[in-house]
Amino acid sequence: MSRLALMIDIERCIGCKSCEVACKAEHALGPGEYRNRVVWHGDTTAPALDFLTLACQHCERPACLRACPVNPKAIEKHPETGVVRVLEDRCTGCGECIVACPYGAMGYDAIDHHAVKCDLCTDRRSGGLKPACATVCPGFAITFGERDALVAQAREQGRSTVDHDAYLLGPSTIYLERMPKEVAPGRIANTTGLALGDRHRPIVVDDPAAKGRLYEDAPAFPYRRSREERQADQVVPGGCNICFNSCSTKFHLRNGRLVRVTGNEEDPLFAGRVCPKSQLTLQLYGSEHRLTHPLKRVGRRGEGRFEQISWAQALDEIAEKLEGVRAKYGSEALAIYAGTRTGTLTRKGYIPLFADMWGTPNVSDTEPFCSESKNLAFKLTQGRIGSGNSYTETDIGTAELYVYFGDNQAETRPVHFGMVNDWRLKRGGRMIAIDPRLTVTASKADLWLPIRTGTDLALALAMIHHIFDRDLHDERFCTNWILGWEKWRDFVRERGYSPEWAAAITDIDAETIRSVAEEIARADGCVLFASRGINQHSNATQTNRTLMFLAAMTGNWGRKGGTFFNMSTPPAIEVKTPPGRAAKTSRPAVRRNAVGWTDAMRDGKPYPIKALITCNNPMAQWPDQRAIREATSALDLLVHIELFQNETSAFADYVLPAATGIEKGEIGRGTEDRRVVWIDRIIDPPGEAKPDGWIWIELGKRFGFDDVLKEKYKDPTVFWDEMCINHPEMRGCTQKRLHSVPWRWVRAPVASEDAAEQETLYLEGTTAAGQPEGHRFPTKSGKLEFWTADLEEKFRTVGLSALPEFYTDREQLIDLPYCERQGDDSIEGFVSPFFMGTPTSSVPAIIVTPDGTSPSRLLRAQGFDTELVTGRPPAPHFHSWMHYAWQAQEMWPDLYVQVHPDKAARHGIADGQRVVIETAHGKIEARAWLHAGIRPDAIFIPIGWGERQPYHPWRSVNFLTDKHQRDPASDHSNLKTYLCRIAPSGE
Amino acid sequence: MALASDPPKRDARKRADMSDAFLVGALAMAALVLVIYYAAWPSLPPAWHAPGSPVLQSLAIIGSCLLLMPLAFAVAKRGGRAASPPRWFAAHVLASIVGVVLVAIHTAGRMGRPPFLMLVALAFLALSGALARLWLSRQMAATLGTKRSPFRGVDPDVQARLRGLIQRKIELLKALDPSAREATFSVTLAHILRSPRRALAYLRLAREESQLLGARQSVGSLQAWWRPLHIAIGYLFLAGLLTHVVVVTFFAGYVADGRQIYWWHLATW
Repeated sequence: MSRLALMIDIERCIGCKSCEVACKAEHALGPGEYRNRVVWHGDTTAPALDFLTLACQHCERPACLRACPVNPKAIEKHPETGVVRVLEDRCTGCGECIVACPYGAMGYDAIDHHAVKCDLCTDRRSGGLKPACATVCPGFAITFGERDALVAQAREQGRSTVDHDAYLLGPSTIYLERMPKEVAPGRIANTTGLALGDRHRPIVVDDPAAKGRLYEDAPAFPYRRSREERQADQVVPGGCNICFNSCSTKFHLRNGRLVRVTGNEEDPLFAGRVCPKSQLTLQLYGSEHRLTHPLKRVGRRGEGRFEQISWAQALDEIAEKLEGVRAKYGSEALAIYAGTRTGTLTRKGYIPLFADMWGTPNVSDTEPFCSESKNLAFKLTQGRIGSGNSYTETDIGTAELYVYFGDNQAETRPVHFGMVNDWRLKRGGRMIAIDPRLTVTASKADLWLPIRTGTDLALALAMIHHIFDRDLHDERFCTNWILGWEKWRDFVRERGYSPEWAAAITDIDAETIRSVAEEIARADGCVLFASRGINQHSNATQTNRTLMFLAAMTGNWGRKGGTFFNMSTPPAIEVKTPPGRAAKTSRPAVRRNAVGWTDAMRDGKPYPIKALITCNNPMAQWPDQRAIREATSALDLLVHIELFQNETSAFADYVLPAATGIEKGEIGRGTEDRRVVWIDRIIDPPGEAKPDGWIWIELGKRFGFDDVLKEKYKDPTVFWDEMCINHPEMRGCTQKRLHSVPWRWVRAPVASEDAAEQETLYLEGTTAAGQPEGHRFPTKSGKLEFWTADLEEKFRTVGLSALPEFYTDREQLIDLPYCERQGDDSIEGFVSPFFMGTPTSSVPAIIVTPDGTSPSRLLRAQGFDTELVTGRPPAPHFHSWMHYAWQAQEMWPDLYVQVHPDKAARHGIADGQRVVIETAHGKIEARAWLHAGIRPDAIFIPIGWGERQPYHPWRSVNFLTDKHQRDPASDHSNLKTYLCRIAPSGE
Repeated sequence: MALASDPPKRDARKRADMSDAFLVGALAMAALVLVIYYAAWPSLPPAWHAPGSPVLQSLAIIGSCLLLMPLAFAVAKRGGRAASPPRWFAAHVLASIVGVVLVAIHTAGRMGRPPFLMLVALAFLALSGALARLWLSRQMAATLGTKRSPFRGVDPDVQARLRGLIQRKIELLKALDPSAREATFSVTLAHILRSPRRALAYLRLAREESQLLGARQSVGSLQAWWRPLHIAIGYLFLAGLLTHVVVVTFFAGYVADGRQIYWWHLATW
């Protein structure tokens, strides 16, 4: 037998650390204990980002083995497989092997005092399985097999291997070099492979100094338990309920207790690949920080003093107080906020039913912070939210070009990015990333364009101008399938949105804009990706529409390998309140965006909101945290339904412990490609925690809603089949069908239980689901709609045009047109034409040409000389969830700020140093991460940290953001572009 | 891929180990005994004030025997016959702690004399051992992923020297242990006893190779050097102990320096 080995493809590795999580789970390793690690390498002199996945190299001449002083050795090398492993019962823990290994690949168990190391998962191999790391890797970066075969495979693929045998030890592990890149002049030279040289390892990643707190608590079950204690006796397929990847998972149980979460290798799409978050849910389910009993506040708001009460008392008292609010202020004075944590069934099912019967239009969710702008843009252009394409090798896998606009898919949806990257590497496709910073996605791209934040609209307009200028658009598609494209073409020309015009705005030279535009137009299949980097701006609806126009006019719509993606594609859940059961409301919703409720909460304008039931964490998530605290403090009743104590709980009158994922049964988040993923209820929630559905049904009983919110709907499977799949697209998505496949998902639309799934929607010659014959797209016209008189009228009411004209956010480093809302949230406004169903107030806006008194100029004069960009942290984190998972905290402990080394040098900031970041709206502290892969005048701070998190509490980045800066069409918050200043902390 | 040829792995959780809590408790207990002893010392009978008194000399003999346990551990670990080296490790720690207490009591508070240096050595050994177990363990665990030199490119000069070294090791091994493979070989106690010259030569080559790999430079100084230092001081202590025993047993007259020889001895030279 040939030696066994791992082959690690550095081109494919995205640094997500899923392999680290799998390794710890497989071997029950606790904090500070490793058998493998993914080391991030940046650079302080040039934009670069690489990841070194490191585990034992299983050397021919193992230095560790020879250094072991025990006789016979406590380390052995298998004569056939070449696997080197520690014989733990012979190891005295002297640490000589750790000193000896030049690769730094030896681990140590600091509790039981012995060396540990990768043995390529001996136990798994004896069961015919691959090592855990190779099973989960989202990026296809880790392959396991016989070394000779792997070397041959690499050779066949024309890949170079890294010579890292500097000391003639004969390492078995194979590293595949990064591939040569064609880069724009002076942009990126990220092809250094493993020649790390003086590459910079950021202090904030895996900082050992920040691990102290993790050692204080024993890690949650089953970490550091014996293999026998962790041996599953039952495995249930399901899905991850955390993010939009909705990874297929398997839940492993022993005696009904969860012992492991893995990927589902039976899934035809995911094949066991899974990101760290899904695996880390094991630490959430078993976390000692979970809320387990209803609590009633006994101290001041924010003080965090509570008494434990029964569910009956909590719900009775809440109901009584709600009645009081209704009697005094009207039913609209209750606002309900849901979102990420709450789960889709609750957000789209239980809550709307409750709110309808109660009689409040003030129900909102996280969409206006995440996706509302793209939802609106999709609805206006295509008639339905989301791309019709699928993550399959025969659909988007066939694209020649992938362009990411403000979408860091590698860190936010690692498994999907892994697929895309794999397909494009196999097919020789190109990848371009447009982002103010060199994200992981950008680090994998062939070309990175560091755009000025908030100016993607200008870039898209200029590309479109150039494409029309050169007649590179798909004339046939435009003529047959787009309404108003000529008007749009004339508008772009008339405005002079040329590449030269955009160059000064975007900081991307005109030639590059032209070149990328031509590449998009000429590609046989181009997928344009956009995400929060586009959505979280005050021009987001128009930017999304313009990117959609770009995709459509180049024929990249309704074809395989060509589309516009902007996560996610929500399932068409339509829960209908029975006729006559909806209470009448006399006033429109205050605003679509929950942050627009704060004047109503604090000052009672335009009308009072005096009670808030929130199933999320507004005190970290909503912009302008100072205002949020004032507003919530003015409420008569604040009820918080949550998994963990956090800042919002501290301000709440009642805290209700919720169940999540497999504790309650639900569907996964809306995926990008229409997969509806069912997650069974498998385990009991901790203590007295209850599923959200249970809470709404029980609260509803206090108001006589139980004829609609029926007792039997506490079973989510019954609720799903009877109430949630009324839409024609969803009728076939029954429990029976979801449970008919071992991966528990169905791709909508499926009109009946036996209807076939469709890989790609809107193909030529097809009719969109539920549309009149010949209507290829689900719009009124059956065509994509760029401009119609109806659209123009709608946009005019909010102060914009259906033909997107350029403007950006209010705070910029150069003078650019910006959007100014004509009034704050205390005014009544008008009912927006954009929000169907619930009448919702909005205020008009105007596009302002900057002058000497523009906000940007005033701020710059005050020393706010830096662009602040916010966004998601690396893959193991998702909002605040993973801050309660000790391993995510071990990997990414502290709130950080990415700063360009030149800026850092000017301000005397060292890597890892504590710094103060200040905007006109507030101030926070974070630790510096010197990163040459960011625009020199920009900084980046991730979301998700909070002041009351158990391991590494930091103030939320939303102390720096502004609640007033919103998109006039979608009411989406600008969370991405602010002017700030940075300085070393005084502490 | 079924690769059942590897023998099943033993579970580390069943391995003999001394927990940090136990070690801290044992050290605290030892310190407490010594504090109580020295607090009570002025009021103790005269026999407890003379290191050579029958009671204190007996304690010294017992303590010294216990302090030979580390040597036994070192031999057992390298001798090839220890069924459970971790048990030997635990025994060396426990015996040393008790031994240190007994030897410290034996000194009867007589500071400033040459044998007191042995107590200093013992204190160092206890401190370095405890430090390694309680504090350096975390550093050792954190070492994974911190070394970069093999990934910084290949130095042809270093490789040429390594090639030469390996060849010399292979040649030497043919005489030292013909059945061994250089790739996995290291010198054992048996080799040293059987062929000391060749064994030492091989050890020198191995050390040279380790230096070329930059092994001890690749980690912090404390992590790199605590063990060599711990072992060196241990041997120095043993040498001192042996000297002390020989001197007081055979050169009692020299030690007494004209005073009464009141301890058990064999000669009064």
